[in-house]
Order: sequence, then structure tokens, then C-alpha cells
Amino acid sequence: MIRSRKLHAHQARMAYLFISPAILLFSVFTVVPVFMAFYLSFTNYDVLSRMDWVGLSNYRKLYTDTLLWQTFRNVLFYTVIFVPLNILTSLLIALLLNKAIRGVKVFRTLNYLPTLTSAVAAATVWLWVLHPEFGLLNGFLSYFGVTGPAWLSETRTAMASVIMVTLWQAVGSNMVIYLAGLQGVPDYLYESAKLDGANAVQRFRYITWPQLRPTTFLVSTMSIIGALQLFDQAFVLTQGGPANATKTPVYLIYQQGFNQLQMGYASAQAFVLALAILIFSLINMRLSKAEEPIV
Amino acid sequence: MKKWIGILLTCAMVLAVLAGCSGNNGGNGGGGAASPSSGDQSNSGGGGVVELTFWGDWGGEGQKQFETMVDAFNKSQDKIRVKYVLQQDMITKFLTAATSGGSPDVMFWDRWRTNLYAPKNVLHPIDDYMARDGISTADYYDEALKELSHDGKLYGLPLTVDARALFYNKKMFADAGLQPPTNWEELATAAKALTKWNGDKLEVAGFSLGDAGLFNMYNQQAGGQMLNASNDATDFNNDKGLSVLNLWDRLLNQDKVYKIGFEQGLGEGTDAFVTGKLAMNYTGPWMLSTYKKYGQDLDFGIVPPPAGPNGDKGSVMGGFGLVIGEGSKHKEEAWEFVKWWLANKDNVLLWAKTSLNIPGYKPALDDPFFKDDPSWQPFLDTLEFAKIRPQHPGYSIMEGDGLVPNLQLFLEGKQDAATTLKKAQEQGDRLLKDNADVK
Repeated sequence: MIRSRKLHAHQARMAYLFISPAILLFSVFTVVPVFMAFYLSFTNYDVLSRMDWVGLSNYRKLYTDTLLWQTFRNVLFYTVIFVPLNILTSLLIALLLNKAIRGVKVFRTLNYLPTLTSAVAAATVWLWVLHPEFGLLNGFLSYFGVTGPAWLSETRTAMASVIMVTLWQAVGSNMVIYLAGLQGVPDYLYESAKLDGANAVQRFRYITWPQLRPTTFLVSTMSIIGALQLFDQAFVLTQGGPANATKTPVYLIYQQGFNQLQMGYASAQAFVLALAILIFSLINMRLSKAEEPIV
Repeated sequence: MKKWIGILLTCAMVLAVLAGCSGNNGGNGGGGAASPSSGDQSNSGGGGVVELTFWGDWGGEGQKQFETMVDAFNKSQDKIRVKYVLQQDMITKFLTAATSGGSPDVMFWDRWRTNLYAPKNVLHPIDDYMARDGISTADYYDEALKELSHDGKLYGLPLTVDARALFYNKKMFADAGLQPPTNWEELATAAKALTKWNGDKLEVAGFSLGDAGLFNMYNQQAGGQMLNASNDATDFNNDKGLSVLNLWDRLLNQDKVYKIGFEQGLGEGTDAFVTGKLAMNYTGPWMLSTYKKYGQDLDFGIVPPPAGPNGDKGSVMGGFGLVIGEGSKHKEEAWEFVKWWLANKDNVLLWAKTSLNIPGYKPALDDPFFKDDPSWQPFLDTLEFAKIRPQHPGYSIMEGDGLVPNLQLFLEGKQDAATTLKKAQEQGDRLLKDNADVK
């Protein structure tokens, strides 16, 4: 008994020793800055010359900042469309590519390729594809006698185009995660379900989907966070236009902080964004808990 | 299993030893090399050579142009050594460096930023140096100096000046028997005549309306101004602003000389003006080299911007300057470098010819390099009446987040002219107020 406790204490010490570098880096570069930013959100910090306590005035200003709320509406719309589509497409592709058929690895690689290209480079190519007069997409549509819109320059299609491009780029990595998840589903479950006479749809509904719950939770949480922090693709594709339709909170925070030197106010905006991410993640957690337990 | 651990341990040890050795070597080598060289420098320079850092965010061609100037300066004397340091994200770097002792001595400066940074005491005023060395402010473009000033103090000298003028495709104009436009009416007539549609496909746009951010320029041509006299609120929600929107509406919706998104995403080599898909375009001298490089078959001319209904002319002056950091430990030497570059006709000309920019120093513009080349004259004419953006720290954000989005809604036909101006005024005024405080 004593020996085992000693061993336990020794293991605990070693464990702390091993995780301490990571914890140290995490606190220095993540935890401390978060607290500093929280403090700064109550000041008029401008990086260069001042840092006076202004109380809640930054937060009061948020209330009347209509542009900030518009950017939030933009990313909420984006998130609500992007996240389910992302899960659906990457799961479908993973299911297709989970078969042991000849050449499947080639297709896996091809589907993963967009993830490897840099967001900015990919967005630049998409600018071409989406060009109203000379773009591939509208060229394709014109075969069917359809005059395509100016995808990125019209308020009604700009956000849809951004969703399309980011989806194209995000699906690859999520597909890989789902593939890993699918390979972890034990074969005997399918086997016994087949013996019981379950068809393919039922096997997916009652075995694959519940077994993939942790994977889905990971994928959905990561894409929610990524979606609310949307910046680079939207910036390259549309520069936030037309008419602020694709402007995002991160863009606004950067602009306030680094272009206008209103770092205090930018910190307050950043905390609102952090809060939004927290709320969405909690909702997501609730939703995935509501599912029936894993078999 | 044991074997594995053994191999791993051996690898780790070998690596550790290698790292240790190279670390030592590096340390010794560095220390050894540093001491004699610093000794050399103090010997050759007599009283010691002062090293200056010069920050800029121009890479590639621009970096070579800066380095040409830096090398010429270093050769011209032996007291000061300047080194160009490329900072991709210069302004962000400057924010942290300015107050922590790492401030650059001289910095390439986007002039409109002056009214945001000067009040924070990170730039060094140069009025005393100017007076002492007898440099006349009359030699520079007034507007450019104004943009480098704050509260009656001057913070730098103009390096380049630019303004937009009207580029037109000469061949298209000749084929249609047209003369380059001098006023809005002629502009609209020419644009309509030069536009070609094929069904619902736009093949040649008569005139570019792709950039709603040019409103300031049109508004000047209409006789208006962007901010009021006390410089604290917008001043375009009136009949002058309205006449700009009416012109745009006529061009875009009645005469259909353009289609929104027509030029978006087109790179240098596929630029709509280069490829003959656009007949007229407002742009600046920075496009000259691109048009000459890619447009072998392109025969283009340039005229100053057409005047508005009451004969008012207008264009927006922009450009860069050189400033001295308040955190610099060698301000005198930094000034020597700036003065050598920007207050000496020969050096200014060297800069102009190297970089193909219009310098802010007027005496250099009498040189045949500018006088004999027809592509420069229209810009020099335009610069005579071009005005800088209003000097308000919130101006660019007012334009980008308040005005332009509303103009884009108008161009898309989602908002009428009166609502557009009203909403742009409301949102613009709020943005100006929110960003006014910089002290």
C-alpha cells in the first residue's frame, strides 16, 4: 500500500515535470496576455503614449457601435451556414473514401490538397474563378444560358462566395479527422448489426453516427471557433465589401487596434468576440450531449 | 523495446553534444569577429562612424531603389553608414519599437499617418534643422508638407507625390473620332460611345467605376469638400455630393458603361486597361511602368481629371515622405541623410530616375527627364490643383467604413442617392467623433 502510494507520488511528480514546459509556455503566451487584454479593455491604451483607466466607457461605446454588430451578424450568418455544411461534406467524403478500393489514396490526397495551399494564394485563384465576365464559374453557367452574378461584388452573393471558398479549403482536414474516426469504429458492431438485419442507412444512423460523436464534437467546435474568427480569405476575396457585407469582427478589431491605435477599445471588442465564441461552443456542447449515448 | 530506448538515448546525446559544440563555436566566433571589426570602424572613421537604420516596407524593386540611394549616400561621405532594413509589417513593428529603444533613425512614411502618430511624440519635428540649414519650404509641394505637419510643426520631407489622372486608350478614341474629355459631360459622352456589349456580356467598358473610394476626387470636381471648415464633421450630404452620385448613376445605370465587379481580381498582366477591355480609367503614375511593361500593343494617353459642372478641378494628392524617429539616438545624422536625399536637386533626380516616382522637391521637376516625357506632364498639371485628404485621424476609417459601403449600396441600386448621402453622413460623423481623440 505504502509502496504504491510512493509510486503514485513519483508518477505525479514526473507528470508535472513533463507537462511543465507546455504549461509554462501556455501561461506566458496565452493566460497572461488574456488577463492583460482584459485590463487594457478598461483603459485608453494606444501602445505609444497613454494607458489611463477609463472604466466602462469602452464597453458603453460598444453598445452604439453599429458596424461592430453588423460584423457580428455577418459571421453569425457565416457560422450557421458554414459549420453544418462543413460537417456534412467532410463526413460524406470521408465515408466515400473509407472504402478499400483501388486508388482511394489518390482521391484522399486530392481532397486534402486545398488544405495545404495558403489561404491567400487560394483566395487569389478563386478571385479568378468567380470573375463575372471571364471567370470559370460564370463561363460554365453561360453554357446553360444563365448570366451569373458578379459573385464577390454583389451584397447578396458575396458572403455565399466566401462560404464556398472557405468550405473548399476546410473540408480536406476535417475529412482526414473523420477518416481516422471511421477507422476506429469496431467492425464487430457492423457485423452483428448485419446479422440482425440492419440496412446501410440504419447502420449509419445507429452505429457510425453515434460512434463518431467525439469526432463530430471536435470538428464542429474547431469550425465554430474558426468561423467566428474568419479573416484572411474574406479579406483577400472582398476586403470586407461590398457595403460591409463580408466585414468580420477580427478585421474590425485589427483596424481599431493597429490602424487607429485604439488598443483599449479593440480589447473590449475582442472580449465580446471571445464571449460569442464561448456561447456558441457551449450551445454546441449541449447539442452533442443531447444525442443518445455511445453504444 | 530496450534496444529502441538505447537508440533514442544515443541520438539524444549526440544531438545534445552537437548543439553544445555549435553553440560554443557560434559564441566564440561571434565574439571574436565583433571586436576587431568594431575596432576597424572607429579607426577608419576617425571620430567613429555612426550607424543609422532606415526602415521601409518596400521589398523587391522598391528595396533595390532604396538601396541605390543608401549606397550613394554612404559613398558620398565617411561619417555615417546607413543600412536599409526591410520591415514587411512596418507600422506594427514601429508601434513596439518606438517606445522600447529600438526605434529606427529614419523611416519611410505613408504621409497620411502623420496626424495619428505625431501627437504621440514618436516622430521628431524638423523645423529647427530646416531653419538652421536654410532649407526653403517653398521648394516643396505645399499640400505634401501640410500632410507631414501637425500643430504647426513639420515632421518630415516629401519623398514622392502622386495624384490620379485620366488614362485613355488612344486607339479607341481615334477609331471613334473622339477627343480626350475635359469635363464631366464629355467624359460621359465618350464613355457611352466607347462601351461595347455583346448581349448581356460587357466586352469593352467605356469608363471604370470600380472604385467607390474615389468619391473624394469627384466631390472636389463638383466643388465640394469632404469635411467642414472646422474639420470635425462630413460635408458631402448636399447638392455637390448629389451631383457626383447623379453622374455615377447616369454612367452605370442609364448609359451602362461599366458593370460592377468587372475589374475585380485582374492582376497586372491581365489588367482590363492593358488588355483593351477598358477605354478610360482614373489611376496614378504608379501604373505607368505596368502599362508600359505589359501593354506592348497599348497606345495610351493621359489627361488631367475632367472638370465638374462648374469648372472645378480636383484630384487627391498622396505619397510618401521620410521621417525621423523620436527614439533615434542619432537625430542629427538622420537629418543629414534626409537632407542629402530630399533637399539636393541631383540626389532627388537620382531617386526620381531610379524609382520612376515624382519627387516632392519642385526644382528637380524642371529637369528634361520630366519636361521631355509626355507621360509626366499631365500628372504635374494635376498636382498643381490636387488636394491631400483631410487631416483628421478618423478620416480614412470614415471613408472606408462609413462612406464607401453606402456608395456601394447605391451603385448596386439598393439605396437611392438621398438615403445614401444621409446614411453616409450619419455613420461618417460618428466614426469621425469616435476616432478624433488621439492625444
